[in-house]
Amino acid sequence: MATQSPPPPTSAEENQRNSAVVAEPTNEDQANAQAEATKQNSPTSVFVNSEPMREEQVQNAMKFLSHPKVRGSPVMYRRSFLEKKGLTKEEIDEAFLRVPDPPPSTQTAVVNQDEQVKTSSGIQPQTSSQNLQPAATAPANAISPVSSLAQPRFHWSHAILAVGVLAASGAGTAVLVKNAIVPRLKSWIRRVVLEDEDGIVKKTDSRPSLAEEAAAAAKAAAAAAADVAKASQEMLISKNEERRYFSELMNMLDVQVQEMKSMSNAIRKLEGETNATARTYVDQDDRQIRVTNLQKTNVNGKTEYDSRSVRSASPPASAEPSVAPHSKSYMEIMAMVQRGEKPSNIREINDLPPNPNQQPSNPRLAPRTKPWEAGQTQNNSSQLLSQVSSDGLTSAQDNWSASQSNGDSSAPWLQRKNVRITEIENEDEVKAVSYGGRTSERPIQRTWVPPQPPPILMAEAAEAIRRPKQSAQKDLLTDDQLVAQASDVSDELQRVTKVSESGGAIESNGGSSALNSTEIQEAEDYSSSYVSHQA
Amino acid sequence: MPVFKTPFNGYSVKFSPFYETRIAVATAQNFGILGNGRLHVLDLSPTPNSPPISELAAYDTADGVYDVSWSESHDSLLVAAIADGSVKLYDIALPPSSNPIRSLHEHTREVQSTDYNPVRRDSFITSSWDDTIKLWTLDRPTSVRTFKEHAYCVYSAVWNPRHADVFASASGDCTVRIWDVREPSSTMIIPGHEFEILTCDWNKYDDCIIATASVDKSIKVWDVRNYRVPISVLNGHGYAVRKVKFSPHRRGLLMSCSYDMAVCLWDYMVEDALVGRYDHHTEFAVGVDMSVLVEGLLASTGWDELVYVWQHGTDLAINCFIGMSS
Repeated sequence: MATQSPPPPTSAEENQRNSAVVAEPTNEDQANAQAEATKQNSPTSVFVNSEPMREEQVQNAMKFLSHPKVRGSPVMYRRSFLEKKGLTKEEIDEAFLRVPDPPPSTQTAVVNQDEQVKTSSGIQPQTSSQNLQPAATAPANAISPVSSLAQPRFHWSHAILAVGVLAASGAGTAVLVKNAIVPRLKSWIRRVVLEDEDGIVKKTDSRPSLAEEAAAAAKAAAAAAADVAKASQEMLISKNEERRYFSELMNMLDVQVQEMKSMSNAIRKLEGETNATARTYVDQDDRQIRVTNLQKTNVNGKTEYDSRSVRSASPPASAEPSVAPHSKSYMEIMAMVQRGEKPSNIREINDLPPNPNQQPSNPRLAPRTKPWEAGQTQNNSSQLLSQVSSDGLTSAQDNWSASQSNGDSSAPWLQRKNVRITEIENEDEVKAVSYGGRTSERPIQRTWVPPQPPPILMAEAAEAIRRPKQSAQKDLLTDDQLVAQASDVSDELQRVTKVSESGGAIESNGGSSALNSTEIQEAEDYSSSYVSHQA
Repeated sequence: MPVFKTPFNGYSVKFSPFYETRIAVATAQNFGILGNGRLHVLDLSPTPNSPPISELAAYDTADGVYDVSWSESHDSLLVAAIADGSVKLYDIALPPSSNPIRSLHEHTREVQSTDYNPVRRDSFITSSWDDTIKLWTLDRPTSVRTFKEHAYCVYSAVWNPRHADVFASASGDCTVRIWDVREPSSTMIIPGHEFEILTCDWNKYDDCIIATASVDKSIKVWDVRNYRVPISVLNGHGYAVRKVKFSPHRRGLLMSCSYDMAVCLWDYMVEDALVGRYDHHTEFAVGVDMSVLVEGLLASTGWDELVYVWQHGTDLAINCFIGMSS
């Protein structure tokens, strides 16, 4: 990057010089190599920042980065903010360089000196001296390099205070326990002991009447059990009745709920219609209306923010410029998901590949040329010809296209006519185009080998190959007529290229042979209409 | 306009780069909040007798599918971005019991977008709510590289249509970053909007033009060579703009969809930029695509569980047929 940003003007000049060299049809191989070398430089230089660093921006960035609040934020956010402000990468890097993030040498040295002073004073208070020293060093280590010098002192005094408070509270609780709680414990223990003694005495007295008492107790227990049984029976009966009443109530409630649902559906439909009208109204350029709608739909907007949190908080959410109102069903689903419910229509689907090493099937068709790629691949050799005008064809592209069109009968055409292809734009584009073509040529040979068409498809393939040539030849004829007419060269070129582009587009359109003839007809009509336009 | 009804809420739609009549649709149940997902592959039948849109294949997933991308090298291969953090590869030429053929689980949060490299045709990138973008190739079971610089969810990552190693990413940290796979870190940071940037796309005809759209309801078109000031600011949507896509056929044309349920077409190079507006969706419109093979063929999908495919400029009332899904 650093190497590229200074010399873009010089590389541009090199381009121009080299293109002039290439234009001469002298040594074609050398021209190829040179053109290739420049092509490798020129595309990348276009997509790189070529402006010099703006010192003012760097200064602003430095001020921003020096702010204490910014210091605490992650580096990523700082970079992102500066990028949003329009700084280039170089400027941002420079600002970061000039405002060092952790200043290790200066600040921590001062902090260490403070520590030493404080530790010496801390030795004097007796109890917590040893605690203070490790406490002092701990804050020292934990201090972020950005912190001010005042912070260690805070840590110190905080530590002392905390220790003091703890000690005081401990002493207080000890005193409390001693004075209040312990005597209570003692008295309680005494009471328990006394009760035990009494209980033992009473037991010895009441032994002879135990049997009688046991009998009486048994009778009482039986009576109690009978009572309990009766009571439980009564309860069961009442429960059943309650259940009956409850179910009846539920039924009635269900009926009412359904009625309400139908009513709400009807209301929604009505609202949906009114909403549609409301949306079209909003589309007009009336800010006030947008604001009111924004207030209405603010709820929707907020839920949109929250809703995307379902996908764990990364929304393409509409920000402040008016949030688009969502449909009712969308809001319903959002609400459902926020409550944690899963919509009922989701199925469990296993979408893993049954064979992860499955090879893709062989391609049946060759890649088609794009309409903007005029000048690349064999299908467009016809377009090369049709773009003939009085401008010259670079010899590099002569050879290249000739090599592409294997055994194309149009090759002698190219060599005969010493013409240059031009796009409507400058030559750099052409270089770029052919550069792209070159690189695509090689990777195609490397990674994708055009498959041998199976015999069944041969007829169609032959048909497909034949068709462009036919239309191309017919285009050629019309373009010869154009060239023969002595009119303005540049205008002609533009019209010719447009014709050929559209002709090319139309010619690659045909999918079936049935449409073939009609499309060639269209191409002819199109070009002939252009001819008539000129005349 | 031809319509397809999906059982779940639509999230993304992509035309196949091989077949003019083929579309993939990513859907998620319960608005993608919590639920299963399904990946549909639809076919637009050319004959008027059969239904305009029919389903070729559908794959169920345990969690919602947030995005889908067609392979540029294999005509039957799909990359699906799943809400449980996995990236799954599907091959529609294989029987459904063999699918998915891969499940790559490295992202720790939801995978929001995926894009296949249109130049090299051998790799794809995925972006996730875990702030990272990962680069994968078809032959490797693990990611080739992880790009971790964004401070918030990366909502979209898009390859440059002309430069094989360059891609851009749009993130909730309000920046768009441009990356080069050969570089150790991002090569450019564009603080495009004051609010979260939900989407970005490259101009197919000018490799230095990029469009970004944000929660602030605006679409801004930037030239990366002079990224301090946008070339153009497109206002007109009533709510956050969810997806923006440059036309593969016309230099200045781009398509956008928004939470205001509208799909708009813009030409950023002219004074009056709004070229077309379609209000067919009845819920958030979240996915749009423009066909590379058929000029003017547009598709859109939204949370109203509908997929529309139409030709730009045609009347909305043509050919409305609701196809049954499984």
